[in-house]
Amino acid sequence: MKETLRIAIRIIALAALVWVFNQIYTRFIWPTELAQEGPELQKLLRINDSCDVLYFGESSNVSYDPVNDTITTSISGLIAELVPNKVIGDITHQAYHGGIYLPLIERIKEYSKVKTIIVTLNLRTFDQACIHSELETALQKQALYYQNLPPLWIHLRAALNHYDNVSAYQRDYRMWKQWTYDTLIVPGIIFPFPTIKTWCEAAKFPLADGTEDMAKRTLADHYIKAYAFVMNENNPRIRDFDAIVNVCKAKGIQPVYNILAENTEYADSLVGTPLSQLIRYNRDFVINRYRKRGVMVIDNLEAVKGKDYTDQNWTTEHYNYTGRLIIAGNVAKALR
Amino acid sequence: MYYLLPFRVRWIFLLGAGYVFYGFIHPEFLILLLLSTCVDFFFALKISEGKSQAEKKWYLAASLFFNIGLLFVFKYLSLFLKDMDPMMANIYKAAHPEKGILLDAIYFSIPVGISFYTFQSLSYTFDVFYGRQKAETSLPKYATFVAYFPPLVAGPIERFHHLSSQIFTHHKPLYKNFAHGFRLMLLGFFMKMCIADNVGNYADQVFNSPTTFEASSVLMGIIMFGIQIYADFSGYSLIAQGASVLLGIHLVDNFRTPYLSGSIIEFWKRWHMSLSGWFRDYLYIPLGGNKVGIPRWTLNIMIVFLVSGFWHGPNYTFIIWGGIHGLVYLAEHFTKPFINLSGSRFWGVRFLGGVKTFAIVTFAWIFFRANDFKSAITMVQSGIKSIGTNALSVTSWVWGLIALFVLIDICLFNQRIDHVLEKKKWWVRWVVYGLLLGCILMFSGTVKHPFVYFQF
Repeated sequence: MKETLRIAIRIIALAALVWVFNQIYTRFIWPTELAQEGPELQKLLRINDSCDVLYFGESSNVSYDPVNDTITTSISGLIAELVPNKVIGDITHQAYHGGIYLPLIERIKEYSKVKTIIVTLNLRTFDQACIHSELETALQKQALYYQNLPPLWIHLRAALNHYDNVSAYQRDYRMWKQWTYDTLIVPGIIFPFPTIKTWCEAAKFPLADGTEDMAKRTLADHYIKAYAFVMNENNPRIRDFDAIVNVCKAKGIQPVYNILAENTEYADSLVGTPLSQLIRYNRDFVINRYRKRGVMVIDNLEAVKGKDYTDQNWTTEHYNYTGRLIIAGNVAKALR
Repeated sequence: MYYLLPFRVRWIFLLGAGYVFYGFIHPEFLILLLLSTCVDFFFALKISEGKSQAEKKWYLAASLFFNIGLLFVFKYLSLFLKDMDPMMANIYKAAHPEKGILLDAIYFSIPVGISFYTFQSLSYTFDVFYGRQKAETSLPKYATFVAYFPPLVAGPIERFHHLSSQIFTHHKPLYKNFAHGFRLMLLGFFMKMCIADNVGNYADQVFNSPTTFEASSVLMGIIMFGIQIYADFSGYSLIAQGASVLLGIHLVDNFRTPYLSGSIIEFWKRWHMSLSGWFRDYLYIPLGGNKVGIPRWTLNIMIVFLVSGFWHGPNYTFIIWGGIHGLVYLAEHFTKPFINLSGSRFWGVRFLGGVKTFAIVTFAWIFFRANDFKSAITMVQSGIKSIGTNALSVTSWVWGLIALFVLIDICLFNQRIDHVLEKKKWWVRWVVYGLLLGCILMFSGTVKHPFVYFQF
C-alpha cells in the first residue's frame, strides 16, 4: 500500500510537471516554432474571422513567369476581383495537396465567418510520383503541426519523428513497385502497354538514323508517369478529399473543388489518345463522386489552352495571366 | 507484462520481444539473426565436444568464417560493388523492385546492428573455445541471449555469462530498479533528443558544404559532430541500460565521461567500453597482448585500432580514424616517461592533457564523419584557412543545452547518474528530473537524425 502511494505521488508530480511545461512551451516557444514548421496555420487563424471564402491552393495559384506575365495577380486574387461582394482569403503553399489541406480545414473555427472553401484539386497529385514524392516527408511534418493537439505533444511527436517519415529510397521503392505492378484497366480505353513501366520503356520517337528524339521521349514518359493511373476510392488523395467533405459538413461549410487545368493537348500529341482518355476518365470519376456528395465541382481540366501554360517542357499547373483568369472566371461564376 | 508472467516463461517473452523488435521494420533481416544464432550455437557445441585442440580450432575457425563472412556480404561487399558502378546499382535497384531483398541489403540498408550481434555471438564461441564458458545446450535459451532486445541494435556488446545469468534469474519488480531504469533513460533521452539531435543540424550543415563556411565555423561544426556522436551513442546506451534495468537485468557500462580523459590511452578506457573490451579479449590478447617484444606489441596495437576502425563500416575513412587513434596511443605510450600530462599533480597540466585529447579526438572525427577521404581533406583545409564566408549561427538556447550537457558530464565524472542521484536529497533529485524532462519536452530537436551507430 505504502509502495503504491509512493508511486502514485510520483505519477501525479510528473503529470503536474508536464502540464506546467505545456503552459510554458505554448506561451513562449510554440509561436516561433509554428512560424517555422507550419507557417500556414498562423495565417489561417489570422484570417479565419475576416473572410467569407477561403481558397486553398498550391503553386498553381500564383504566377511563375515574372518576365512574360504582365499581370501577376494570383487566381485567388482574381476571384476576389471578380466577386467583389465577398471577402476572399487564401492559403497558398507549394506542393500542398488534399492530405495537407485536410488538417488545415479542420482548424477552421466552428463559428468562423468562412462559409465556403475552394479547394484546389490537382489531378497530378493523385499519381504515384506525387504520392511517393520525396517532398512528402517534409509535408507530413507540416501536417503534424496543423493538427489540433496540445503544442507540447505536437513538438514531442515531431521530435520522435512520429509522422509518415519514411526514407526517400523507401518512397522511391514504393513508387517503382506501383509503376511495375499496377495494371491499367479501364473499360473503353485500349492501352498500348499494361503498366507505366512497360509504357515508358517502349521507344516512341524513332529517328531515321536509328536513334530516338530523347527530349520528346523524356517529356512523353513524364506525361505517362504523371497521368497514367486509374483513379479509384483506394487512392489516398481520394480518401483525403472524402474526409474534407465530411469536415465541411460538420462545420457547415460549402466545399468547392476546383479541378485544375492540365495540358491535355500536349499529352495527346506526345503520347496519344489513350492517355488523354484516361485523364478524362479520372476527371469524371472525381466529378461524379463529389457532386453526389454535395460538393460544387468546377471542371477546368480542358479550360486552358496549351499556349497558356508557363512550363512548355514539363508537366505543371503553372499558368500565365490568361490561364489564371480563365480558371478564376469559372470559379467566380460558380460562387455567384 | 514481463513481471505478470510466471518466471519460467519470462525468457520466452524476452525472446519473442527481441525478434519483434528486430524484425519490426525489416523482417527479412531476421533470417540473418536466426542464422547467426544457430550457427554459433552449433559450433560452440561442437567446440565443447571436440576431442582435440585442433578439432576445436577448426570449429572456431568455421564460426569466425561464418560471422566475418556475414559481415563481409552484408556490410563490406557494398564498398567494392559500389566502387564499381554506384549509379548503375542505384538505378537498377529502384527500377527493379521485384529483384528485392539481397540487392536491397547489399546496396542500401546494412542490416541494423549486424556488427553488434555478430560480435556478441562470436564472443560466446570464443569463450567456449578458451574454456571460460560452458556451451549452452538449449538453442532457444542461447537465442534469447543473442536477441535480448535492449542492446541488440547498438550495444553495449554483452558477454554470455553476464547476460544469461541474469536473464534466467528470478527478478521481482523492485521500486529501486524502476527508479534506476527511469533515471538512466531520462538522461539517455536528454542526450539523444536535446543534445545530439540539435547539434547534429549544425554538424550536418558544415560537413555537407565545408567550403561555404569560414574556418572558425568549420571548426565549430567539427566540435558539434564530436558532441553529437557522443551524445547520440551514449544516449542510446543509457536508454538500453535503463530499459534493461526495468526488467531487472543490468547491462555493462559503455561510456564513462570520455571527453574528460587526460590522454588517448585513458579515452579508450572510457569510450565504447564494451567494444574496446571485446577487441582486448578476442584480438589483442590472442595476438600476444603485451607479453611480446616492443615491435610486435606496436604492431598488435595498430592491428587492433585499424580493425576497430574497419568494424565501423565499409569506408577507408574509418580505417584512417582507427589509424590516427592507434598512432597517438603509441606516441603517448612511448613518451609517457618524459611527458605525462594526465598523470601530473598539477590540475592545470592535467587540464592541458584533456584539451590535447579532445583536440585529437575531434580531429579524428573528421575522418569518421566524412563521406570519403577527399571530403575529409577538404574539411581539414576549410578548417585551417577560410574558403567560404558563411558563419555558423548557433541559437542561444542550443548553447544553453550544450552548457548543461558539459555540466552534467563534469558532475558525473566516473559515475553513473542513477547512482549519483540515489545519494542526493529528494528535492535535488526532482530538480534534476524536472530540468531533464523539461528540456526533453520543450527543446528536443525536430529534424530527423537516426541513431548514428544504427548504421554499424
